[in-house]
Amino acid sequence: MPFRFGLRGKLFLLSTFLFSIPWFGYQYVWEMEKYLRYGQEQTLVGTARALATTLHDRPNLFNSHASFLPSVEKGRDLYGYQLKNPIRLDGQYRDWPNFTSRAHEYGADHLLYRDAKSTTADALTMDFKTTLGKYDKYLYLFFNITDDKVVYRAKNMINIDRNDHLELAFVDETGKFSRYLVSNKKPGWLDTYRITDLENGIPVVTPQIQGQWLDTPQGYNIELRVPLSMVGDKIAFAVHDVDQEQGKVLNTVGSADPRFAKTLGTVLVPSPEIERIVRSMRYTNSSIWVVDQHHRVLATAGDIRQAAGVWHKKSAGSDSNSWWRNLEQKWLIPLYYMVLTRPPSDFIDQLYDASNLTGKHIVGALQGAATSQWRLTQDQQAVILSAAYPIFINNQVQGAVIVEETTNGIRTLRNRALEKLFSSILAIMLLGAVAFFLFASRISSRIRTLRNQAEQAIDEHGRIKQALPLSTTNDEIGDLSRSFTTAVNRLSQYNHYLENMSSRLSHELRTPIAVVRTSLENLSMQTMPDMASAYIDRAQSGITRLNLILTNMSEATRIEQMLHTTEKIEFDFSQLLKGCVQGYQQIYPKVGFTINDGEPLKGLNFLGSPEHIAQLLDKVVANAVEFTRDSKVELAVREEKSQLILTISNNGELLPEQMQERLFDSMVSVRSSKKQEQPHLGLGLYIARLICEFHQGKISASNHHDPDGVTVTISLPLGAKS
Amino acid sequence: MSKRIAIVEDEAAIRENYADVLRTQGYQVQTYENRETATAAFSLRLPHLVILDIGLEQEYDGGFTLCQWLRGLSKTLPIIFLTARDNDFDTVSGLRMGADDYLTKDISLPHLSARIAALFRRQDALDLPTQQEHLLVSGPLSIDSQRMTIAWQQQTVDLTVTEFWMVFALAKHPGHVKNRQQLMQDSKIYVDDSTITSHIKRIRKKFMRIDAEFDCIETVYGMGYRWNDPKHTGPEED
Repeated sequence: MPFRFGLRGKLFLLSTFLFSIPWFGYQYVWEMEKYLRYGQEQTLVGTARALATTLHDRPNLFNSHASFLPSVEKGRDLYGYQLKNPIRLDGQYRDWPNFTSRAHEYGADHLLYRDAKSTTADALTMDFKTTLGKYDKYLYLFFNITDDKVVYRAKNMINIDRNDHLELAFVDETGKFSRYLVSNKKPGWLDTYRITDLENGIPVVTPQIQGQWLDTPQGYNIELRVPLSMVGDKIAFAVHDVDQEQGKVLNTVGSADPRFAKTLGTVLVPSPEIERIVRSMRYTNSSIWVVDQHHRVLATAGDIRQAAGVWHKKSAGSDSNSWWRNLEQKWLIPLYYMVLTRPPSDFIDQLYDASNLTGKHIVGALQGAATSQWRLTQDQQAVILSAAYPIFINNQVQGAVIVEETTNGIRTLRNRALEKLFSSILAIMLLGAVAFFLFASRISSRIRTLRNQAEQAIDEHGRIKQALPLSTTNDEIGDLSRSFTTAVNRLSQYNHYLENMSSRLSHELRTPIAVVRTSLENLSMQTMPDMASAYIDRAQSGITRLNLILTNMSEATRIEQMLHTTEKIEFDFSQLLKGCVQGYQQIYPKVGFTINDGEPLKGLNFLGSPEHIAQLLDKVVANAVEFTRDSKVELAVREEKSQLILTISNNGELLPEQMQERLFDSMVSVRSSKKQEQPHLGLGLYIARLICEFHQGKISASNHHDPDGVTVTISLPLGAKS
Repeated sequence: MSKRIAIVEDEAAIRENYADVLRTQGYQVQTYENRETATAAFSLRLPHLVILDIGLEQEYDGGFTLCQWLRGLSKTLPIIFLTARDNDFDTVSGLRMGADDYLTKDISLPHLSARIAALFRRQDALDLPTQQEHLLVSGPLSIDSQRMTIAWQQQTVDLTVTEFWMVFALAKHPGHVKNRQQLMQDSKIYVDDSTITSHIKRIRKKFMRIDAEFDCIETVYGMGYRWNDPKHTGPEED
């Protein structure tokens, strides 16, 4: 049977529309996330604005720095990194974070002075790398100097500038200009001298500037610190290279000319005042930056890794539902995270140089517009939301506040929402699918039951076998069932009327026939003219034939009635068969009967009504005798699958194809009209079928060929074989 | 004194035909067309024999009611049902109610008058002493052909006239198979095969009421029935 798309399948397919619910839920949560992001953006801009508000029009915060310069020059204008750990003054840059990337190289570009006579060679024999840092109250400087010849100050030498030395120049907060020289006799602790404001031309030892001189294979390192009180926002340094003992300075390379106050460069150290203000905002769980108009960081607070943007509390695990928690943790969550992504807690974001911030939003903010932007971290793990807000001083943008947060908080929220959504949708879908399935099964089973009942109610001959049970369900299927019941009942009544037709007809006709016959008999007793008696005889023969018809008609009905009250007894089937055949031999002396019964059937006990079985044989054999052409009727009996199979065959006329099924119905006859000497109503084989059905058996007729003929097969179940 | 026969029949033509035949044979015949007139007449005076139809005008079972009522009045009054209804249920009901015979309207007039005569003969014979020449004795079976009674082990078997003739036909020639056609002729009825079968069944039951071991009537399948003597005694003929 090909696949059938039944009601159940259809409903099941319809129920798959349930699966679109999670998609809608997912879309909804996405939409919600969008709004949340928008909200976060607004909050962030608000935070930036609030911070910027506290910084507006407070020029003193920026005054001491180079923020007001129209432009900054790399190398001349310096940036002091905020150091997080103390620096050990040992001449080594191991404790400087990111020294190689943060250090600025000074070489030929920064040549301040060159002795024209002595330097014939073009190559500069000295360059250095410098970085600045601020820690506590000191400005730290580190010089990594490459020099082919390191010349120290000779012993007892009063001059401090006839050897390799470092010159520093500051303008302190009060505006006082000072110059210092670092000129060592040997590697080790620095010898520092002030060379400005001298009373008698003798450099003054300056112990406030402390540090270490360390020889290296390439040259030497100088690591030193200067108290911030000595350093304003102007600074310059220069390294003087001397290649001969007590020689002259050959080259000077430096950040700016240290000899005059106005030629000094600037230094920017993260401002403690701004930092204090910014630090007060660190509770916003955001990462905050304040930059000046040159994109240089004035202050920072917070860590972007912690800045999730949302205060997400740890959900208090409801342990009462531990099995649910288990299920969720073991099965559901891993399943969901095949679709979802967990926001990373560990990501790398180094887009910003700690000294210098770039980005469209900063540019925008420094042009006076509050802007925000979304960007991915460099490792593409997290999305960072940045908001920048300009700081105005005297209607001039002097800096910007940048607030950053990751979207991890929102993603966590979104994930949690999706988890819950998925869980509930999963439950709804499961319940829905099960409910749909049960409903469909119930409906289809009811319809199948109804179909089976309807099929069983009427047999292949169109007769009503049993009434349909009346359904009490008050719905459409119940209605259908009731309509079926009504239809079957009406059909049953009509069938009953038809089935009783012959018996009622025979009963109704019997009285008028009796009137005619008794009248004829009375008439025949009278003295009549000879001519009249002939007519009376004809009339009587007609009446006799009519009577015969009536008797035949009522016989079928009577058999049906009698079968109802007949009790089955056990008898020897083959004995009965033999007895019957002997009888037929006497009745039809011209016909040859042969029995072909299998050995195992000897002494076979059969439960049934022997009289009726004999009557069944009478009818079938009479039929076979009537149609036989070679005066031979063969009977065979065998046992097959606990069925007793009896075949009665004769050679002769074949059955018409379409008659084979209907042959055993009431009032069906295939006799050609010329053979009709006796009235025939086609009731014989109908009676045979009734008797077969009474024994739960079947009767069928089929043609056989070579020689042509008809075989009637009777199969009776051997239920009670003893 | 000629016998008085009452015919209760709602079909006028049949009633009159039967009446005419019976009158020509010297019986006094009264006809009634429904139960009321019959009851009124019978309560005044009982006839010697009653022929009843079952369906009387509107009463579907009027004949049965009348039969029961008549049996209440007289135990010996011969009652014949003559009806168009030939089903087993009605036959059994009619005979249970005490009818002496149950005939269908297929029966020819000569047969009917023969049965009536036989019934009268039996009625009269019951009053006479038993005459040996009419007695056929074979083992436990004794048949009085004049009184039309049959006894098994000295007990009377309560048979109708039809049944009597069937047993008589079988027992007259023990060991001989009588087919249904012959039995019909002998018992002067014309019915179909299954009616014969049910008659035989009833006869067996009636014998078995007296003797549970009774198995003298043997069915010879395909042919008919045969009387087997319980003891091996030569058949006697009257």
